[in-house]
Amino acid sequence: MFTTALILFGLSFLFIITEKVHRTVAALTGAALMVLLGVISQDRALEGVDFNTIGLLIGMMVLVGIAKHSGMFQAMALYIVKKARGNPMAVYILLGLLVMIFSALLDNVTTVLLLVPVIMVITNNLNVSPYPYLVSTILLSNIGGAMTLIGDPPNILIGSAAHLSFNDFLIHLLPVCVIIAVVTIFGLVLVYKKDFVTTKEARASVLKFSPREAITDMPLLKHSLIAIGVVIVGFLTHDLTGLDGATIALSGAALLLVLSLRDPEDHLKDVEWPTIFFFVGLFILVTGIEEVGIIDGIAHYILQKIGSDGFMLAQVILWGSAFMSAIVDNIPFVTAMIPLITEINAAGNMPENVLWWSLALGADIGGNATLVGASANVIVAGLAKKENQHMSFLGYMKVALPFTMVALVISSIYIAIRYF
Amino acid sequence: MQRKVTAVHPDDTVEEVVKLMLEKKTNGTVVVDDENNVVGILSSWDIVQHIVPDYLETDSNLAAFEAADVFCKRTKEVAQDPVSLMMTTKVRTAKEDDTLIHALTLLAKFHIRQLPVVDEHNHLIGYINRTDIKRAVGDVLREDTH
Repeated sequence: MFTTALILFGLSFLFIITEKVHRTVAALTGAALMVLLGVISQDRALEGVDFNTIGLLIGMMVLVGIAKHSGMFQAMALYIVKKARGNPMAVYILLGLLVMIFSALLDNVTTVLLLVPVIMVITNNLNVSPYPYLVSTILLSNIGGAMTLIGDPPNILIGSAAHLSFNDFLIHLLPVCVIIAVVTIFGLVLVYKKDFVTTKEARASVLKFSPREAITDMPLLKHSLIAIGVVIVGFLTHDLTGLDGATIALSGAALLLVLSLRDPEDHLKDVEWPTIFFFVGLFILVTGIEEVGIIDGIAHYILQKIGSDGFMLAQVILWGSAFMSAIVDNIPFVTAMIPLITEINAAGNMPENVLWWSLALGADIGGNATLVGASANVIVAGLAKKENQHMSFLGYMKVALPFTMVALVISSIYIAIRYF
Repeated sequence: MQRKVTAVHPDDTVEEVVKLMLEKKTNGTVVVDDENNVVGILSSWDIVQHIVPDYLETDSNLAAFEAADVFCKRTKEVAQDPVSLMMTTKVRTAKEDDTLIHALTLLAKFHIRQLPVVDEHNHLIGYINRTDIKRAVGDVLREDTH
């Protein structure tokens, strides 16, 4: 059984990473074989699925899927550009911050899909190259995603498995992410300052913007703000109410469906079901190797090699997960790391969830290093290519890698100072 | 059916095709390869869609904010793009001896405006457009009144 589990897991991951077949098909096939070949029973497989993560993802997908039709996200972007009076550098800084905030509250892919079209329109008006704005969108979306429980799927996975609340993420990850974001934005401004040149006429065209026109559905906007507000309050008050993420997000989705009286059929179709089933498959695959003792073995091996020195382990996990996330999808990587870190935490005496924060920071921020490091990167590059803004793998890395290294050094120092 | 068909090649550019459409006062052309096989249909609609940037198609509300010169810029950008990039490749065709009701059903079902007519080897021999249909309808109605 040990060998069967190892082969099934290894082959599934190989197919997921190389994208030879669709990642969902690879994960589900591997999961089905884990049960069919008797590595785990069906009951054990279903126990392994973290339905809190699944519910939270579905709830947020429905909520954001409906809210995005109101045009509010685009209107906010146009509003801040007008406030910046069309100054390209101010627009650059404010758009970067907006990407970061949206990514902290929505998922990164949705954020970039909503904001890249606005960025194209704004840069066309200002007659400046969109390229620096697109690079900042990628970097800030992954940094913003690291800030909160709901910002990036690895955080949802970690939060759910380790019982870390929305506030825990705000207390432990928000401060370091804010520092990283500030350093990144100002660093990017220095790199691209030559590109921030526009004309009086171009600035005037931006000043004529009427952001309200971007709002397509005012009642929906109000309902969306209410539902999103309720969800955020729900997350912030988790310590008082004890409500879990899935309950809060699915209740928010239900509330928005009730308020807007929308037919759920189309919106439920909008849920990224391939992603949801990918998670289900992954959970079962990881349960398979956990069941036969592989995770346990690796945990003991790591503890033997590195010892139970928390500082060393935290640094290895931070840099190791950053490296892995830069080259492979961070979702399967984190899913596999969770039981491993649970084991290490149980065996060693680690201070205050430090290994979880190291994993989250490494996995979320490491994705910035390359164009394939995170889904948002791939999507921005794809959208840019359609508009003749070719982002080459090396060209992107030349800018992004140094920023990722700086962000990781900051994370490394933060962990050292705060937890040891 | 019209025997004189405005046909273009998949490698022809947007610039060439637009010029031809303006000359022939038509909104639709049939795309044929070197052997006169029908490989696509190109309407002015396909060209419009090609000019509009994808990001505006996904978020059409932003079009109100787009810079005015984007139309000129995009048109120049796509001027040398080949027809093959924007033509409709799923082509419905009729045979010369097909009945009119058969041809009309294809037009109605697939919401298409023109129907190339081909021989048994898929070679283009003619073309039916909405004017031809109107003529046929007119003929039937005139027969009734006489």
